[in-house]
Amino acid sequence: MNGFATILVKDLRLEARGGDSTITLAAMSLLILVVIVFALDPVGGARDAATAAGALWVALIFSGMIGATRALVAERRNGCTAALLLSPVDRATIYCAKLAAAVIFMAVAEIATVIVMVLFFNLDFDFRLARLATIVAAGALGFAALATLLTAIADRVRGGDLLLPLLAVPLFVPALIAGVRASTAALAGAPFMAFMQWLKILGAFDLLFLGAGYLLFEHVIGED
Amino acid sequence: MMEAALVEARCLDKIFGSSPVLRGLDLRVIGGAGAMIIGRNGAGKSTLLRTLAGLTRPSAGEALLFGRPSTDLPSNLRARIALVTHQSFLYPTLSARENLEFVAALYRVEDGRADVDGWLDRVGLRAVADERVRTFSRGMEQRLALARALLPQPDILLMDEPFAALDGDGVALVIDLVREALARCSAIVIAAHEPLALDGFSFYELVRGRLARPVNELSRENLRPFGA
Amino acid sequence: MSAKTARLMGLLTLALMIAALFMVFVYVPTEADQGIVQRIFYFHVPCAWVAFAAFALVAIAGIFYLWLGQQIWDDLAYAAAETGMVFCTLVLITGSIWAKPIWGAWWTWDSRLTTTLILWLLYGGYLLLRAMADDTSQVARFAAVVGIIAAADVPVIVVSVRLWRTIHPAVLVTRQGGHGLEDPRMVATLLVSMAAFTALFGWLLMLRFALLRARWRLECAARELGLAAAAAGDLR
Repeated sequence: MNGFATILVKDLRLEARGGDSTITLAAMSLLILVVIVFALDPVGGARDAATAAGALWVALIFSGMIGATRALVAERRNGCTAALLLSPVDRATIYCAKLAAAVIFMAVAEIATVIVMVLFFNLDFDFRLARLATIVAAGALGFAALATLLTAIADRVRGGDLLLPLLAVPLFVPALIAGVRASTAALAGAPFMAFMQWLKILGAFDLLFLGAGYLLFEHVIGED
Repeated sequence: MMEAALVEARCLDKIFGSSPVLRGLDLRVIGGAGAMIIGRNGAGKSTLLRTLAGLTRPSAGEALLFGRPSTDLPSNLRARIALVTHQSFLYPTLSARENLEFVAALYRVEDGRADVDGWLDRVGLRAVADERVRTFSRGMEQRLALARALLPQPDILLMDEPFAALDGDGVALVIDLVREALARCSAIVIAAHEPLALDGFSFYELVRGRLARPVNELSRENLRPFGA
Repeated sequence: MSAKTARLMGLLTLALMIAALFMVFVYVPTEADQGIVQRIFYFHVPCAWVAFAAFALVAIAGIFYLWLGQQIWDDLAYAAAETGMVFCTLVLITGSIWAKPIWGAWWTWDSRLTTTLILWLLYGGYLLLRAMADDTSQVARFAAVVGIIAAADVPVIVVSVRLWRTIHPAVLVTRQGGHGLEDPRMVATLLVSMAAFTALFGWLLMLRFALLRARWRLECAARELGLAAAAAGDLR
């Protein structure tokens, strides 16, 4: 994994220098949460695990769409993508580094969102959140794996910004279904076994896209 | 027995749509030698260099580095090539030092830290080492790009119009660096639109997609009005 | 692929289609519960089978393209995607037509129909990618990768949507679970219909594929012409 840490640290540094963009991402995630609250107007407001879970995952997808692509997009300037491809680093390693950066960016936004969600929906900060965190982390990982691969393509296609969500959303459906159901169960305090099957699906999804991304990234990364 | 060429093109074709940019192009550059390729704008110099570097696949024929197809180089060989183009390959929000340190780490240069300082001195950017590249002038960027390319001590150096936008000092710097690289037995390919006198270099004209050896005069197609 | 093969395929398709239409509208008995509308089942199911099989073909052709690098595999993938999309759309339309009289709703979120909807979106994304990337040299690679990951995702989608539906009590009652076809005539009709629609798919695929191959030959010829013109220019 030569170069993985080098590229990841560089990407994190770029992001930190990039003028509060991760904070903006977190803010956007929160705004989406607010919009959903107004749009759905949950009946009985308070402890509605299902709405909270749904809102959380909508925010995850939207913030992921932007956040998960930042690391790869940062290479567009000055032909840095070509520079990376010419360097001794393997393309699969580049994929892993970009993926890791994407997960970190999404994690920052998601942590903020979860906290605010707990406040908005009057939930409790307890063990259920730990389970929720695991589920959201798994979802973010899968989305990042998917988005990093697709962004490599979308970057090289005109009008590719539209293409990314068009492809990402249908592909993400199983993780979305599993994630929302598992999150609902976690927030409602259901026993662990109850949402095992959803975790299995999330796990299978993550494995699938991590594997696919790792193997296929080299075919699509390039600079045009 | 011919000495093994470090950079080689064999019957290289590169076609975009239906317009051939490179046609049956042949080139051989051994270690310690250089090739200067003169051509007008649009003649295909950049395409040639990109294809040699392995950034694009040839339509037909072969582009070889170290005897291997340039699009399929193993990582240990990629560590020994460098490309300099009009794109700087620099990150604007990182400082000069950080950019060089990044390359040193990526190319696993031993003693990277010390080398970075040395190179900053060499290209005259020590004073602005910790300034962000975004604030640099074009000339400063190019100097840094040169340092970036040469930091890993590449055995193959491909340069696309390295003298453009440089002042007299800058041109002298490039010539010095090129001479050192030759002395190190690197193979160098430089593309330019005007020839520059350099020892150890063979001169070629890129005309109609092929390389031709001009004897003394450039062809009608490549002559530039004096002073242009 | 000669014109003769295509014509033969066309004739075979015609024959099977006539047989199928006869069986669906004349031969097979009307189903007890659902009445005449149920006959659409014999179009709906074969279209679904074709839509999914075509997508698998897109992915397999994509794998061969990445592996062997030959344009013919990409042409096959593209042809399969375009043709498969047609059948996928038909599944959704026939599903709607079937649902309305039976359940009083244009759309039911039952697991099979939902999965088909997502498949339709995947087809759409694939074809959109093709359209938007058409001017790049890498379009075939991009499409191959997208086709592969989408097809790999389909089983996961199927499982997740099915679980989604069973745990949540359906707001609208789902269609009959399996193909509980008691009467052997129904089975026979279904099989013939499957064959007919598969033949139709095959025929349309051949036509589309032939067109793409022709386009490729044209591009190669243009390239040769470009090279020849340049060579002629040399002689001046």
